[in-house]
Amino acid sequence: MSETITFLAMFEDFEPASLGVEKLHDLGLSDDDMNVISGIPIKGAILGRPSAITYVSRIAMVGALLGMAFGLFLIYGIPYLYPLLVGGQPIFPIPQGIIITFEMTMLGLMGFAFIGMFVDSGFPSYTPKEYTPEISDGKIAILFSCPESDQKKFVDALTKAGAESVVPAEARHL
Amino acid sequence: MTSLAKPLARPHAEEHEDPREHLMHDPLPRGKMNEMVMEAMHETNWKFWVVTGILAVLVATCLGYAWYYLIDKGLGVAGVNMPVFWGIFLVDVVFWIGISHAGTFISAILRVLKVESRRPFTRAAELMTTFGLVQAAISVFMHMGRVWLSYWMAPIPNERMIWPDFHSPLMWDFMAISTYLLCSTMYLFLPLIPDMAMARDRSTGWRKTLYKILGLGFRGTEGEWKNLTTAMNLFAFAIIPVMFSVHTIVSWDFAMASRPGWSSTVFGPYFVIGALHSGMAAVAIVLFLLRSTMKHYKYFIRPEHFDTIGMLMLLVSMAWAYFYFNDYIVPWYGGDVWDKLFQEWAEKGPLWYLWYTMLFCNIVVPWSILWNKKWRRTPWLLASAGILINVGMWLERYIIIPEGLTINRMPFTWRLYIPGVEIALTVGMFALFLLLYMLASRVIPLIPVWEVQEGQEAHLLRKIGKAEIPTLSELE
Amino acid sequence: MSTNLELPMFTNNSEAELGGRWGMVIDKDLCTGCQACVAACSMENNVPFVGEEDAGYGRSMQWIRIERLWEGLDGDYREVKMTDYQPLMCQQCHNAPCEPVCPVYASVHSMSEDLNLQVYNRCVGTRYCANNCPYQARVFNWRDYADYRETNTADNDPRWSVFQNQLNPDVTVRRRGVMEKCTFCIQRIHQAENQAKAEGREVRDGEFTTACAQACPANAIVFGRIDDPESMVSLAAETSRGSRLHEELRTMPRVTYLAGGA
Repeated sequence: MSETITFLAMFEDFEPASLGVEKLHDLGLSDDDMNVISGIPIKGAILGRPSAITYVSRIAMVGALLGMAFGLFLIYGIPYLYPLLVGGQPIFPIPQGIIITFEMTMLGLMGFAFIGMFVDSGFPSYTPKEYTPEISDGKIAILFSCPESDQKKFVDALTKAGAESVVPAEARHL
Repeated sequence: MTSLAKPLARPHAEEHEDPREHLMHDPLPRGKMNEMVMEAMHETNWKFWVVTGILAVLVATCLGYAWYYLIDKGLGVAGVNMPVFWGIFLVDVVFWIGISHAGTFISAILRVLKVESRRPFTRAAELMTTFGLVQAAISVFMHMGRVWLSYWMAPIPNERMIWPDFHSPLMWDFMAISTYLLCSTMYLFLPLIPDMAMARDRSTGWRKTLYKILGLGFRGTEGEWKNLTTAMNLFAFAIIPVMFSVHTIVSWDFAMASRPGWSSTVFGPYFVIGALHSGMAAVAIVLFLLRSTMKHYKYFIRPEHFDTIGMLMLLVSMAWAYFYFNDYIVPWYGGDVWDKLFQEWAEKGPLWYLWYTMLFCNIVVPWSILWNKKWRRTPWLLASAGILINVGMWLERYIIIPEGLTINRMPFTWRLYIPGVEIALTVGMFALFLLLYMLASRVIPLIPVWEVQEGQEAHLLRKIGKAEIPTLSELE
Repeated sequence: MSTNLELPMFTNNSEAELGGRWGMVIDKDLCTGCQACVAACSMENNVPFVGEEDAGYGRSMQWIRIERLWEGLDGDYREVKMTDYQPLMCQQCHNAPCEPVCPVYASVHSMSEDLNLQVYNRCVGTRYCANNCPYQARVFNWRDYADYRETNTADNDPRWSVFQNQLNPDVTVRRRGVMEKCTFCIQRIHQAENQAKAEGREVRDGEFTTACAQACPANAIVFGRIDDPESMVSLAAETSRGSRLHEELRTMPRVTYLAGGA
């Protein structure tokens, strides 16, 4: 294996960016060797890329189950630990149980979706990263790594596809 | 003389409406929009600081000192008495929770339904949700006799292993409002992350540090966007039932009590609609204030958005009238002696004028203004209607709570309620809400720029025949 | 710790245990409205004075009040007639509406005495119980009435400390922000039960009574065991003149009012 070098190619619009992705595929880069950084969410299919995998929904489901368990504990576990009679109502009330279980399930679901988003994306991370502020100005960047020996070929191909600039990416503090 | 058709309007009279009146068809480069939002956030003038100062003084005296006085002396300094054990504090709780509902309604329901005109003002509405809930929580605590022990309602056991009682509607309320507060704050933060990253890229000094921390190191890679949009989508769907449950449970605080006028099965949906009624109106006020005070916001917040909100206000007002009529006619027809007494008390009692003001503000005002498209698109008019609707909704809660408590099944105890320190505290709470909002408007980008750009990219003007017709595609 | 299986587990127990344990009969035909019960109750239970202004604004804290109403106010004044005096205190409902609405179990049911308890130390002052009481029998400590320095402007006035000396040591002195109500003089109940237990017997009927019943010069209030069919209170409650307040709400109050005999 030869040394690899990471490039950041900036595009103004969707068309050239998708062409750029195509060129990189033609040059033999797999989808795992590149990433698209953009200022708005872009469907993978628009750029001819597979869509990203996310675990947020699954983590949220786990949260919902945990929340439901906590809700059930609150309404049916607590009176078991210390039964107190109020107003002639049952110790284990079913209608109230529905309310508390619902609230706690939703709290678990959303809380874990939030935490899942952090965990899955590696947030918060304040380490240096390959980035340029132009991205939040609406530019689309393709971040890719290629063998150092072939770099000219890659740069030329992307420039031809319509890249505004193709520069070696430097990790910098955001 | 024969004519081929009825007299025609002027050629293309309707098409005079320029599609570029719509934000989505009037795109600007993202960099320009970023700049505008950042500039609006940095810009302060002496008027801003004077208003902030006045509000801060109001918060310190009317809220801070008055609350200290209330805690120190006990609830005797407020107007609550027997039988009116719940006074304006609870009116404020219901009112602020109602205000908080519009934020979720706009950002979640309109997001789920893909209503495009929501894009520029979702954040302004969500911020209202979070701050409204803060006020509601403060009112609950002010209402409590021993606020310093309010943590006893938290779901943790005390030293004798007694937990709170989940038989109580107040505990459902506690759990529901905490859930709603936590979830709506998270839901406010999620779409804020890319904007924080944007702000991080173009600021210096303490702001740079702040946005760097809140931006979490977001770059906008495919995986980050996918996670973020998935989470946002999940929140949008999940927070809607929570929102409905919260105000339903607030209504159950009253409906579960076996009191005439309170024990009603329609209270749940009636309160939810009432919450939206005041909340929508509050959104109109906030958007009017933002549009007229923040630099460049006239580009983002346009008459079309007031139009959308105006239509929602009209719809919600009609729904409110429908539920109110339901809640009114059933006891009226049933003729139960206590229910009848309750109704007569509101209509013919010493506070009859509140009842008529409520009906005027909640029904007459919106129905007579909001049917007209031109009026709906006039920001100051919509904001004025919003203020009147909020007055009406506040009175509605006042009629239900302190006025309704005045009478009960033991005529010997009937007594009127004269508010005391509650009035100062209510003023203080409004001041706190405005103060929080004003300060936040200088720290948080109130326009979700990336969502606006996303919408603008998705909208196209397509030429069909001789006209340019707006079309919409899905990018994400 | 095992759960007591006698408890209602999943359904309401409104039909169970209709009997109750302690009860009261108030004969409205005998009541003269003299307010002796009110004074005795306040002395016994450390109920504070709230002062003229607060009392006028509906903040008096009497656990028992004499209700006095007029009939026919709409008509000619000659037709206006006064109803019987109605002493009203906590009705010690079996299905008490005040209990389930408390978020912190400050208002709970005593399973052994079948009474409605108010735990002052646990109360956080939401006042929901008072709203939900159909009899409006609950009172709230709006201010620190028990602290004489709060109710009197002249600080350290020695005269006020006299009132501290008359407090009943068996009853908690409540501070601001808590709810309270008639307890059926539970301190007397416990004292009698302890005495009886020490002597190895049941509590005898008439062995003790509540402060209000003790003070009533007309003997309009009778207190005792309603689970004992031979007790005075049971016999009095059985007369055809008896009724309970708001029976339609199925709260199952333990106080019977007698009226219509005179």
